[in-house]
Amino acid sequence: MAGETTIYTLRLGFDDKLKAVKVEVPKGEPRPWDADSELAVIGRDTPRIDSVPKVTGAAQYTHDVRLPGMLHAAVLRSPHPAAEIEHLDVSPALKQPGVRAAIDLVKVGDKVRFAGADVAAVAAKTRDEARAALASIVVRYRPLPFVVDLDEAIQPGSPKVHEKAVKDRRTEGDEPSEGGKARVEGNVRRNPSLSKGSSNKGLRQAKVRHEATYTTQVHTHSALETHSIVVRWDSPKAMTAWCSTQGIFSVRDELAGVFELKPADVKVFTEYMGGGFGAKFGASAPGSRLGWIAGELARKSKAPVSLLLDRHEEHVCTGNRPGSTQRVTLGATTSGELTAIHVVGHGSAGIGTGAGIGNNAFGIYTRCPNILVESRDVFCNTGPGTAFRAPGHPQGAFAIELAIDELALKLGKDPLELRIGHVEHPVRRAQLELGRERFRWAERRREADAKRSRGARYLTGVGVACSIWGDYGRKNAARVTVSVDRDGVVEVRNGVQDIGGGITTVLAMVAAEVFARPVPSIRVQVGNSELGPSVGSGGSQTTSSVAPAARNAAEAVKAELTELAAKLLGRGSTEGLVWGSDGVSEVGGRKRTIAFAELCKKIEGEAVVATASRPQTYNAGPMRHPSAPVYQIAGAHFIEAEVDTWTGVVRVPEVLAIHDVGRVHNPLTTRSQVNGGIALGISYALMEQRIVDRGSGRMLNPNLESYKIIGAAELPKLDIVFTELHTGANSTGAVGIGEPSTIPTAAAIACAVHHAIGRPVRSLPMTPDRVLAAIQGA
Amino acid sequence: MEPFTLIRPRTLDAAQTRALGAPAERVYKAGGIDLLDLLKEGLARPAELIDLRSLGDEHGQAMRALAASDSGWSVGALNTLAAISASALPQAYAALREAAGSAATPSIRNSATLGGNLLQRPRCWYFRHRDLHCLKKGGERCLADGGENKFHAILGGGPCHIVHPSTLAVALVALDAQVEIIGAEGPRRIPVGELFALPRVSPTAENTLGEGEVIRGVTLPAAAAGQRSVYEVAKEKQSFDWPLAEVAVALSVEGGALRTVRVALGHVAPTPWRAVQVEEALTGQAPSAELFARVAALATQGARSLGDNAYKIPLVQGLVRAALHRACDVPVPA
Repeated sequence: MAGETTIYTLRLGFDDKLKAVKVEVPKGEPRPWDADSELAVIGRDTPRIDSVPKVTGAAQYTHDVRLPGMLHAAVLRSPHPAAEIEHLDVSPALKQPGVRAAIDLVKVGDKVRFAGADVAAVAAKTRDEARAALASIVVRYRPLPFVVDLDEAIQPGSPKVHEKAVKDRRTEGDEPSEGGKARVEGNVRRNPSLSKGSSNKGLRQAKVRHEATYTTQVHTHSALETHSIVVRWDSPKAMTAWCSTQGIFSVRDELAGVFELKPADVKVFTEYMGGGFGAKFGASAPGSRLGWIAGELARKSKAPVSLLLDRHEEHVCTGNRPGSTQRVTLGATTSGELTAIHVVGHGSAGIGTGAGIGNNAFGIYTRCPNILVESRDVFCNTGPGTAFRAPGHPQGAFAIELAIDELALKLGKDPLELRIGHVEHPVRRAQLELGRERFRWAERRREADAKRSRGARYLTGVGVACSIWGDYGRKNAARVTVSVDRDGVVEVRNGVQDIGGGITTVLAMVAAEVFARPVPSIRVQVGNSELGPSVGSGGSQTTSSVAPAARNAAEAVKAELTELAAKLLGRGSTEGLVWGSDGVSEVGGRKRTIAFAELCKKIEGEAVVATASRPQTYNAGPMRHPSAPVYQIAGAHFIEAEVDTWTGVVRVPEVLAIHDVGRVHNPLTTRSQVNGGIALGISYALMEQRIVDRGSGRMLNPNLESYKIIGAAELPKLDIVFTELHTGANSTGAVGIGEPSTIPTAAAIACAVHHAIGRPVRSLPMTPDRVLAAIQGA
Repeated sequence: MEPFTLIRPRTLDAAQTRALGAPAERVYKAGGIDLLDLLKEGLARPAELIDLRSLGDEHGQAMRALAASDSGWSVGALNTLAAISASALPQAYAALREAAGSAATPSIRNSATLGGNLLQRPRCWYFRHRDLHCLKKGGERCLADGGENKFHAILGGGPCHIVHPSTLAVALVALDAQVEIIGAEGPRRIPVGELFALPRVSPTAENTLGEGEVIRGVTLPAAAAGQRSVYEVAKEKQSFDWPLAEVAVALSVEGGALRTVRVALGHVAPTPWRAVQVEEALTGQAPSAELFARVAALATQGARSLGDNAYKIPLVQGLVRAALHRACDVPVPA
């Protein structure tokens, strides 16, 4: 296929800005869906095809897996934030009731670097027995000096967290890093800067400056289903694992790697999963070797082993969104042209890396000619940070967007107009202009100003913030198989896991569209590594990697069936045949139709089967991402906040979210993803916060009581608008939404609170203590 | 969680006989909400739970009653928060209904009882942490003092700095309720405020109940003419969260002046806290927004921040203002 291409003229673009574009597509690919495609299924609200098992409890999650003879594992974790192991003996555990195996996870002389680190593990007949047996393990720790606070860890002379270079764990959309080559001083590790022009020069030119420090908290993923894995050895060289994961194939590869097996001899199932926000790649959690623990205990005990984390463990050792301290300096002319953006970000990913925050400051208000974002990871003796729904973005957005609002106030400019004047992306500009009207920006601002000036108890404010993301859909990563059998059953098969975004339903919709069949008649099999390679659900790439591959496979099957129909109708070619809900029909002549069922009966052999992938993106979209080789996705949130000035309580009554999602495949589940992104963003803005005791190094709120997560009572009225963009980027036009939908929420709330009370709250979460302090001018 | 035996006695006498002599081993259970947390956290390891909901004797009936009596209203200790919230308690006692309807979540309110709410253990994150040993658990010092103390006491603290978790207690203090207690030596009755003890009396216990004693219910005294009562609370989350601070106010207005004012604060001290200075400053005055703004500052006289909880001072003042506005129908600035 190399080099052979077909050129299609497609109508691409968005809103009224559609134009004919010549797109070169690899030969064999169908004509990509564009603005002129008339689609019957794609683009219509379609309930999840797996909703009944989910709501009735029939769906089997990893926590539900029960195998004959299965044992339960429990892990002994370090109570110390830093300590050296002086003595460790797991053998007493073997004498405890029900215990069948015990292993150590560290050796004498090793160091543990956070409270919650792996020390030892046991497998027993019941979970209670396994937990109880942990107390019998003999460990002597030599406690070492530790540091758990970001600002303290930066100070020279603070206890050093790592002696050696630290390996990065990376996923799509991560901030830049130089990995092990990065320069480290004390606990501070430098990441590459994002830079253009000269921020120093820009600041010298500035007539108006704004400089302030913004801080964000550590945010834990808190998926409803905690990390869980069940391992069964099928032979000394083969195993099967059930895992709550967003990356079935990374689980397979990790297990194959640690147990020296061929990947082909490791089967992984994730039939259903209870949420993953970036911390569920691989068999292990970022701070605990779950895959090794379950596999090794299973090997030693010669029985399947289930390892399910409790909520406490989930909070401390499975990753988090790093906290940050960001020094932002903005320069502008008196007429309100940005001359410089300079951000110095320190982020803490605990013992891990990847706390950068740069893309929002660097990539959105690009009419500013001079931008420098410097980024540092700061090591602390706390659980490792990891990818979390748009890594780095919500914290970066919070600082730059609130800083821009504060600058706008100094300039006497409307903060929305200041933004519109500095964006270059045509979709983003259109979104900001749409929101201005749809959210009644000017009117609401005036109403809010009036309330503030008359000293009302409840003040309101409106704010806006933008998102930036990339189209990370991957070529050749997902291999989707579509079959149509003699009985007329259409089946789509792929090894992808459904993280909850609804890929299962989208696959059914794509097949239903291609074959003109009803969605409920399509069978979809996913969540099984035997069903063909697929992508991990990270970087918002699942739909854009898998749906086009499904269409390409379905089109190949359809082409073969069309050939068969032509033969049955005695026609020389497939020209003049069309597919409809009745089957395959002749357009002209005798207008005969072969019903779908009749056609399938004539299939030679069992079924027509095709497997396909998707090629690299073949058209660039309206604008490139400034720091990644992909097309850029734009979005904006307009938010009203209400502040009770007597209590400091902030509520969010209304949100308008406008997002570029390429072609919306299933509006129902796409809106659902945006609902979730906004809910997460409000939760991050107003309440979620890991509290670590500086005295003991322990997390004090490792639960869902004092680690607070948004509930139904906090959900705003949501208005979600999709800027449907025809990119021609792949055969279905899919683009991701999972991550961008949460990026601007907290930032826009911060801007709205700033507008409401006339003073900034520069720390997240904006809890009543901080809001009251801001109101009182502290 | 350790295994335990559930005992379901038919009479209070049988329950008390069972409980006496082994307070840590045999514990009473009503709704079981806080008890389940304590069991899961390993803070309680009883061998037997004695379920008070199975009582079928006269005490059991009294514990389930909610009715007007000769001298006011009686609310039995086994009434759930949901039942109290939806009860026919007159408007004079609205603070209790509002408090009961605001606590926790609908599902918890359907199980949690008045008695259990009054006797639940504090939520301090050092006390509740499975790896930490604080003063309240018999350790050497209060870890919140010099530690992470955003949710801790600004009044009445030391040597332990918990805030009392009971929301109903705040309303009951404002309503001047009496608690009826049944012990081995028979019944006794105390003002609800005397049910609770400051940590300087005992850092490991929050109430003054003797061994085996059971709360049968509370009595709300007859309401003053024109009595109004309200409850106001601020939370970080609007459901399934604990108050940052809360206020209950009961008062009446006679001839344009405030009379029989009682103001109680919650989640600011180790016990429900009466704001006596506010009560005195209001008594005899004509209600007005200016008055409320001025007297609210008196609510926190003597308050001391531990570092992270200074915000509770303006917060509880704001709640006092809000409660007074609503109790007196004085509109808030809008």
